Amino acid sequence: MRSFQQNLAKLEAADTQVLGVSMDNPYVNKAFADENGVTFPLLSDFGGTVTRQYGIYKEYDKFKTKIPAARRVTYLIDTNGKVVEMQEDADAVDPTKTVTACERRKLKG
Amino acid sequence: MRKTSIAVLLACSLVNAMALAQTQKESAPLAPNVKVGGPAPDFTLMDQNGQSHSLHDYRGKKNVALAFYLWAFSPT
Repeated sequence: MRSFQQNLAKLEAADTQVLGVSMDNPYVNKAFADENGVTFPLLSDFGGTVTRQYGIYKEYDKFKTKIPAARRVTYLIDTNGKVVEMQEDADAVDPTKTVTACERRKLKG
Repeated sequence: MRKTSIAVLLACSLVNAMALAQTQKESAPLAPNVKVGGPAPDFTLMDQNGQSHSLHDYRGKKNVALAFYLWAFSPT
């Protein structure tokens, strides 16, 4: 999420709202945002309903148990509510592709 | 007496099995098909400051970069 924060000005300049989502509760997200200087909304999908709707709910083997969480995926959604770009897993860590896609759309518009 | 306890035990395990089946059903993906070119499912979720955000709030106004991450404080 820090890398999105670093690119926030570029994304906002391209008329794009950044929304982070995880299955953490809002209190954890508050602490996370404060510690990392995140100023955009970090949404809490506690229970995973939205994560399941997007089909990226996954159980991770951690600490000898299975912990449910979302996969790391970034969706770029246009003003008509349509998914126009999607970066998955390792590709989704660095938002450069999302930034480029937003800027390209801005030029077109 | 013994027969009663066996009956109770059986009833309990049946209830457990039903509960387990329910949990498994709930953890199944609802629509694992969000794809490029398709619609993004709407949602309303709370942010770190207790404010609600819905995808439809941005319709006709802004693009949305919806970035799912695993856990707060996970590296990267």
